[in-house]
Amino acid sequence: MKECYLGIDIGSISTKGVIIDNDNNIITSAYIWTEGNPVEAVKNLLEILKTKLPKEYQIKSIGTTGSARKLIGLMLKASVVKNEITAHAIGTLTFYPNVRTILEIGGQDSKIILIKNGIIQNYAMNTLCAAGTGSFLSSQAKRLGIDVEKFGDYALKSQNPVKIAARCTVFAESDLVHKAQVGYAKEDIIAGLCKSVVLNYLNNVGKGKKIISPIIFQGGVSKNKGVVKYFKEILKEDIIVDENSHLMGAIGIAVLAKKNKTGSTYSLELKNLKFQTKAFECHRCSNSCELLKIYRNNELVDSWGSKCGKY
Amino acid sequence: MSTVGIPRSLFYYYYSNIWKDFLDYLKIPYVISPKTNQDILNRGMKISNDEMCLSLKNYLGHIDYLKDKCDFILVPRISNFKKDNQTCTNFWAAYDIVKNLFDINVLHYNINLEKGKTLKKGLYKIGKQLNKKHHAIKKAYKYAIIKEKKRIKQNHIINLNKLKVAKTKILIVSHPYNLYDEMLGKDIIKYLIKNNIEIIYTDKFNPKITNNLSKKNFKDLYFKYSKDNLGAIAYCEDKIDGIIFLSSFPCAPDSLANEIAMRKIKKPYLNLVIDDSSSFTGLETRLESFLDMLGGPIND
Repeated sequence: MKECYLGIDIGSISTKGVIIDNDNNIITSAYIWTEGNPVEAVKNLLEILKTKLPKEYQIKSIGTTGSARKLIGLMLKASVVKNEITAHAIGTLTFYPNVRTILEIGGQDSKIILIKNGIIQNYAMNTLCAAGTGSFLSSQAKRLGIDVEKFGDYALKSQNPVKIAARCTVFAESDLVHKAQVGYAKEDIIAGLCKSVVLNYLNNVGKGKKIISPIIFQGGVSKNKGVVKYFKEILKEDIIVDENSHLMGAIGIAVLAKKNKTGSTYSLELKNLKFQTKAFECHRCSNSCELLKIYRNNELVDSWGSKCGKY
Repeated sequence: MSTVGIPRSLFYYYYSNIWKDFLDYLKIPYVISPKTNQDILNRGMKISNDEMCLSLKNYLGHIDYLKDKCDFILVPRISNFKKDNQTCTNFWAAYDIVKNLFDINVLHYNINLEKGKTLKKGLYKIGKQLNKKHHAIKKAYKYAIIKEKKRIKQNHIINLNKLKVAKTKILIVSHPYNLYDEMLGKDIIKYLIKNNIEIIYTDKFNPKITNNLSKKNFKDLYFKYSKDNLGAIAYCEDKIDGIIFLSSFPCAPDSLANEIAMRKIKKPYLNLVIDDSSSFTGLETRLESFLDMLGGPIND
């Protein structure tokens, strides 16, 4: 039996799973949409991974990251639960030890990580506003009636991208509607959108940061060739996009899981696991906390959200 | 005897000790609104308009809570501490907003050093309004101000001692009414303490020492409370490991001052903006990764 390690990155838009071996080689991976239900998504993900994983491997450790990391961590009894910034940095550093800047645009978050000598020096993450992230692009794709996966190809066709306000998505959207009604070609509008994502990113999280090459661009949006093109154009630097750029977070957390072996073996058989969450509002005091109780096979494992710590 | 209501927000975090000592000495009963809870915050949201910042909304919630529990509510107007030492417009406007929104008796004084309106005159005015004798007010003022001076010195020394601790030290740059508020910033403090971090507070330094330092790095600062914050950064930047900027949405002075600070400092920093979204998850991700970063090499 060979040892292997599972890393799962549950993002707001997509759920990623990677299984690596002792030498950090990717044995198999999967990428599916979260569709607002992380528990179901992870169950489906594990089904896919189970069929892909060669029989001689045995999972020795599991790590979770992404916005639903705590919930899924509980569900799978993960040995590591870590935030996505650390996971991304570790994942990238395993393959590119010399990297200086990591640009990352995900479904809801966008971040920039500056690295020097393999140590994170500084990073920035979008604050309240989710402008210019993947969810914005996919909602605009729906409006234009195009699959978001094809966005990049459309953008590359354009000769002169339209100007779209880059500051705020609400303005961007009204700009976009206006430009479409006036009669601009779809390619030009999409190219303009991709450009506005780049400008928005550099104005928001990238503001005041020294972006030094080698630069790696990752996260779901890095699969969009249009965005990559405009990053290159505006930064005037080469941008590396790994073929696994969308999996970097999952790889990082798998590497971390490898370091935190618990000694027990995990199975991917979760079909019969009953994992439920019940939300309710506590009215014992005027705080009215929104509580979330988590049940694993009808047994209460944890509850979150109380301010007083009673639950 | 009439009761004075003190809202536990905005001014409270700057003047509560002086007020309490002053009122105690004059034997005037007072009530302080409870620590912010969801109910108070909701009340504030209902009353205020969209443009107000989260902290002011919170303040109005506290006033709403107190309105039928006391005879007077203490709402000063703090406009400036001499030239180029303005306060935020909310501190100017609080009295007028309260007067317009609520039908209550307001105990009021102005602080406007440009026009010679000092804290002393303000407290005297309050004393008179509450029918106290001049000499009693004089004594009470002296009592309160001496205690306050001691407190400032003590806090400064406590902060200096914290800087010598061997733990990871993080300076939190924030206005005290955001940071210490139960609903706004307390979760962040709790999280940091749980993770064994030594927290240095900007408002605990002696402003007389730090304010002058702010000029070194940041020449033309207009706001007094920004000077407090940025002066503290200049004062202890080389002794700390990281800085967390915490501001409420949409704070105007912070958007300017923090921005300058982020460009000038050489330490790693984290910028947090709080709004009324109740979930702590987003903040936790940022705090956790920030602490990971300060922890040094992670890929060994």
